[in-house]
Amino acid sequence: MDPAPRSFPDLPLDEELGTPVPFACGTGELGAPASARELDHRRVTQCALSRICGVCGSGLGRPIAFLGSPEEEARNAFHFPPSHLDCAERLLGVYAEVRGSVLGQREPFDSWVIATTGGFEYVRPRREDVDRRATFEPNSLLEARRVS
Amino acid sequence: MAIADVKEYTHLTDEEVEQIGRELDALRKEIEESRGASDAEYINRLIKIQRGLAFAGRVTLLLSNKKPAWALGASMLGIAKILENMEIGHNVMHGQWDWMNDPEIHSSNWEWDTAQPAEQWKHSHNYIHHQFTNVLGYDNDIGYGVLRMAREQRWSPYYLGQPIYNALLAGLFQWGVSLHDLDLERIRKGKKDPKEMKRQLKQIGRKIRGQIAKDYVVYPALSGPNWKTTMTANATANLMRNLWSYMIIFCGHFPDGAMHFTEEELEDETREEWYLRQILGAANFTGGPLLHILSGNLGFQIEHHIYPDLPSNRYPQIAERVQALCQKYDIPYTTGPLHRQYGQTLRTILKLSLPNHMTKDKNPTQPERSDTANTYEQDLRRKSDAERQPRRTELGGWSRGGKQRMHD
Repeated sequence: MDPAPRSFPDLPLDEELGTPVPFACGTGELGAPASARELDHRRVTQCALSRICGVCGSGLGRPIAFLGSPEEEARNAFHFPPSHLDCAERLLGVYAEVRGSVLGQREPFDSWVIATTGGFEYVRPRREDVDRRATFEPNSLLEARRVS
Repeated sequence: MAIADVKEYTHLTDEEVEQIGRELDALRKEIEESRGASDAEYINRLIKIQRGLAFAGRVTLLLSNKKPAWALGASMLGIAKILENMEIGHNVMHGQWDWMNDPEIHSSNWEWDTAQPAEQWKHSHNYIHHQFTNVLGYDNDIGYGVLRMAREQRWSPYYLGQPIYNALLAGLFQWGVSLHDLDLERIRKGKKDPKEMKRQLKQIGRKIRGQIAKDYVVYPALSGPNWKTTMTANATANLMRNLWSYMIIFCGHFPDGAMHFTEEELEDETREEWYLRQILGAANFTGGPLLHILSGNLGFQIEHHIYPDLPSNRYPQIAERVQALCQKYDIPYTTGPLHRQYGQTLRTILKLSLPNHMTKDKNPTQPERSDTANTYEQDLRRKSDAERQPRRTELGGWSRGGKQRMHD
């Protein structure tokens, strides 16, 4: 179980953006600098199965929060792994103003969404899927709100 | 895909593999959509029964100086611990009941009645074991770092003591499991993050203190003059749970027919291939409903590995469909009575205590591979999370002992 979970203020900083890099973004290649652009697939899987927060890396609580784009909300399939609500809110507090592809997003969009749920399904990509990223489908949605 | 290198799959076309995936997806969807009140009622009822048994056991043990009360109390407590660990705790921590959004029955906050902290179990079991099922060097459940469970694992004279280590592991199972996620090998080599090690040790210390206080201080003290007999009864209940959970867990992956995989990388393994590896790497056992409940429905280990987060009470229903699917596509489905599955596991443990040249390899010849997956000298040491590669299409060399095949 390494690395140890880090609280929000202790998250490493992205050299390019100067923003905190959540646990799910990891460090890409072993030893590479931390980057908030892409999700680290290993850590996404780890978050899904170990039930840990995609932002700080410690055990999830209730409710479980998902952050993503309005499109992800509409299809009920998020790419960023589950998080603590507080961690998701703090992360978006930083990233709401950042433009371009971050936190695994590939298309630009107007506003972030935070959805809360009791549980989720972890869906692995299928062979014919063009987008080979895993998704998370909230299965007992409590609330979804826009964060601008 | 490289899983086609496994003999049992060479007859499958890519389209068939995709079709299997589609059918398993559809089955998943069907169960997800039909989850509801009766499932919730099942888990709530089971928790009520488990708590009732634990309470009755503890109360009975207030009179533990009488032999019948000692035996009855220890049995009730032992069964309560088995139910809590196997059918409730293990499955709740997989998130099988999160959809209910129950504040108590939830993977995020369930802490179970055993020495390993829930958080560490969710890493070592839910992630490491379920993601890298039976992949040598990746899945730390292959022998728990103590036993040699595959011929591909290098033999050393240490393994001559394997029958003894096995007996010790069975009897002290909860304590062995409590150290499982610490990764003693990495600590010994100085490769473990000291901060994380300290954090984990603190968690384990806290949990162990609580468990010991409960079973060996508080409840014996409540028995007053009978404290000594209550303590022995509690120890017996813990031993019952240890032996049972050890046997059930070992029967999930080590009977003949459950394959091991050697992997260099698992990157980009598709959902369909992942399904197939889970089916190949797990083994079921047969029995009645009570046996299945007491074993956390892990007699449906194959179904549990395909759908670890679907409610366990649905596994019997799912198993009928999965078994039919395996028959349809002529995929091995390893199952048999519990005594036979454990007998085969025990035979493997004894056999692999000796060097390979002294025992017969019943496995068919390894398929030829162009990559390094057939090179058993590859690095099979335990890996950190950072060293665990993402999944890949290529599922490597394999091993099986295969007699119990549904399609044979």
